[in-house]
Amino acid sequence: MASVCPTKTAKKVVGIALLSAILLVFPWLGPPVYFISFLYTVFMFVCMASAWNLIGGYAGYLSFGHAAFFGTGAYAAAMLTKAVGPGTASNLLCSIPSGLVAAVIALVVGYPCLKLRGPYFAVITLCFAFVVQLSVQNLGVLGGPDGLWIKGMDLPVETGRSILYESMLLLMAITILVVERIEHSKFGAGLRAIKQDEEVAQTMAVNAPRLKMGAFALSAFFPGVAGGLHASYLTYIHPTIVFDVNMSILIVLMALFGGGASWLGPVVGAVLLSFINELLSTFVKAELARIIYGSLFIVVIIFMPNGIMEFIRKRKQTGSPH
Amino acid sequence: MDLLKGTGITKLFGGLRALASVDFTVRQGEIVGLIGPNGSGKTTLFNCISGLYKPDFGRIEFEGRRISGLAPHTIAAMGIGRTFQIVRPLMDLTLRENVTIAVLYGRWGLSHMEAAREKASSILEFVGLSDKADSHPGRLALEDRKRLELARALGSGPRIILLDEVFAGLNPKEIEHAVDLTFRIRDEWGITVFMIEHVMKAIMSTCSRIMALHHGVLIADDGPEAVANHPRVVQAYLGAKYARG
Repeated sequence: MASVCPTKTAKKVVGIALLSAILLVFPWLGPPVYFISFLYTVFMFVCMASAWNLIGGYAGYLSFGHAAFFGTGAYAAAMLTKAVGPGTASNLLCSIPSGLVAAVIALVVGYPCLKLRGPYFAVITLCFAFVVQLSVQNLGVLGGPDGLWIKGMDLPVETGRSILYESMLLLMAITILVVERIEHSKFGAGLRAIKQDEEVAQTMAVNAPRLKMGAFALSAFFPGVAGGLHASYLTYIHPTIVFDVNMSILIVLMALFGGGASWLGPVVGAVLLSFINELLSTFVKAELARIIYGSLFIVVIIFMPNGIMEFIRKRKQTGSPH
Repeated sequence: MDLLKGTGITKLFGGLRALASVDFTVRQGEIVGLIGPNGSGKTTLFNCISGLYKPDFGRIEFEGRRISGLAPHTIAAMGIGRTFQIVRPLMDLTLRENVTIAVLYGRWGLSHMEAAREKASSILEFVGLSDKADSHPGRLALEDRKRLELARALGSGPRIILLDEVFAGLNPKEIEHAVDLTFRIRDEWGITVFMIEHVMKAIMSTCSRIMALHHGVLIADDGPEAVANHPRVVQAYLGAKYARG
């Protein structure tokens, strides 16, 4: 394999560089707003599905509550910008501590919850997300059921949108890079052992509790930052929007659709599902779109239980002479 | 020197006393056997030592430090490796990856992937699996799965290794290999061995000392011949009639 790699990697690098360049300059070429905001959403979901994969894909702890971290990030950013005063730089930079707030909450919640395995963990994270949503809805300080307005950035609407687009693109790139690094590290190897058999992993001296906490916190951090940016994008946040349970589920589906075993899986899954979703809602009647979307999932789960990427990899393996 | 020492180990499962105040010691450099009929508490004792169970009473010491009550990964990191009776390979990972993870988190201090992978390869070679290092455990026959179990336990660089029926289900030829490997683990790696075994021929030739458990009670602790002829051991396996005769 190593002998074939150089040209292949070179091609890959050129491809990625080209794609990044196109994505970078895209909003400044004056395309319709629709495309900018669509791509922005794709970046956001790629970022969240990739981050989710740390705990869900590698460690095998399916969190169905990641919208809680996204929403926490959004609210934290809203409160922070109010405190330090709005402005382009402060709006963007406040998203970073917002991610930290989400990570800290993940640590607090993860400590008891990560002792549960399998479906129990999935259910408790789902409940946790509901609890957070309801709490925020009833907390006057956070605007309660009225939601919160965020002072936008002091820029023309188009420029502001393009800057948020670039920020989300950057966040996505960083997330993918971090996740990819982790996948090939000691940390990632430990997480994979935990997914396979946690008891055996522990008898191999893998500090499972600490690794799970680390993965959970990191997987909350990036969605938290994304939520922080998205607050500026929306300029108005409401518990039912940023804590939407559908978002939690969508993140899981995207990651598993692409395949949780590698960093590429969630990226592919998020991009594909975003496009399919968008195409269906544009060209097909809403009721029919849901049916097609649902059937697609059933087909993928039956024929590619480990996701699209794993399916392709296996095909390649059996296709080549071994 | 006592490497591993248990005093008054008691483990209760509801009303069942799986272990009743068991005292044992394993000395540095020994190969010690643990026998007993099914359900006598052998694996329970191993689970207590490796931290998967917490004993209800009693105290286990490793190199003079208390380990009962510690988390399994802490105990493993201190230098106690183990295999599982029903083999538990990490199925989605290759053999090399299985062992590499143990090496990474074990006592070698190798955090670098490439170095850990090399170490894992040398361990796989030691147990005789180097030609299958890149395949998945699902393709292995039972003998090889047991070897993998062993390789993974060795991977974390233990000072003592707990072998839970590594000979079970193997044919005589394979048992010979496994016995040989057990000696090499002790002689070449300097690892003390504490093993549960049912295959009497193998355990008699391997162990310098054997302990016998029955209903959670330690009924014998002596040289192989003495234990095999111990009236209470014979009684536990075959019934009182044979013990008398």
